[in-house]
Amino acid sequence: MKDENKDLSAEQSLALISGMIRQAQGNVSYSTKYILLWGWCIALANLGMYGLMKFSTYPHPYVVWLITIPATIVSIIYGIKEGKEKITHSHLDKITMWLWLSLFFIIPPVITFGYKINFQINPVILLLTAFPTFITGIILRFKPLLVGGICFWACSIICFMVDAQTQMLLGALAVITGYLIPGYLLKRIKV
Amino acid sequence: MFKELDPLLHSQLRLGVMSLLISMEAAEFTFLKEKTNSTAGNLSVQLDKLSEAGYITIEKSFKGKKPLTTCKITRKGIKAFEEYVNNLKDYIKK
Repeated sequence: MKDENKDLSAEQSLALISGMIRQAQGNVSYSTKYILLWGWCIALANLGMYGLMKFSTYPHPYVVWLITIPATIVSIIYGIKEGKEKITHSHLDKITMWLWLSLFFIIPPVITFGYKINFQINPVILLLTAFPTFITGIILRFKPLLVGGICFWACSIICFMVDAQTQMLLGALAVITGYLIPGYLLKRIKV
Repeated sequence: MFKELDPLLHSQLRLGVMSLLISMEAAEFTFLKEKTNSTAGNLSVQLDKLSEAGYITIEKSFKGKKPLTTCKITRKGIKAFEEYVNNLKDYIKK
């Protein structure tokens, strides 16, 4: 691109502006490591809780969810490291980041006040997760994540109608179809 | 009566840079160079002009041992860009 202005007409200027804005908007970055980390973490927690409920008499099967604590710590460390390394940010990068961060703030009250909603915690969380998954799919223009968002939504609806044990299996299914499959497909494209 | 287009923005490379920065939180020099398909020398001169006018801020730092130049659009830059686009629209309507 040269720095000449004598031939730049109004139409050319507008075309240049829209072309550059499109380029900047297309520069959305994504990190599959968060999708895969949380995909595995939540799938294992769901299956672990299902296993404990079904095959043992252990009175506190929900302890398996404690694995989300190290996953959170690892995510924070990754996030800080990436924030330092990555300088070029688009507005869509920021929107995607806050979309997922907001989920971290929304989920704890749902768990804390789960007793007020008849312990329908799993379906509510699946429903809440459908939203950022779907929107991230739109931002990245990546269909498997759009389908993933729909899977979360569909599993959430079924979850409302089944018992607590089956909810765990549905939770694992939702995470496998909503996070893990799109995550690995995205990773393959990236490589 | 049409307003004159801001001569600082009515240049291919500077307009390209401003159009990229309006959509970004911040951008590295290498990113701007790649997207505008310009040479480092030319880009550097044009970035200095935009910075002197207060349209962008340029921050120089280090990423490990490599020098890093980061550019951000300022409020003044956003206002000038919006005004430029509005004036362009007037020209096109004419």
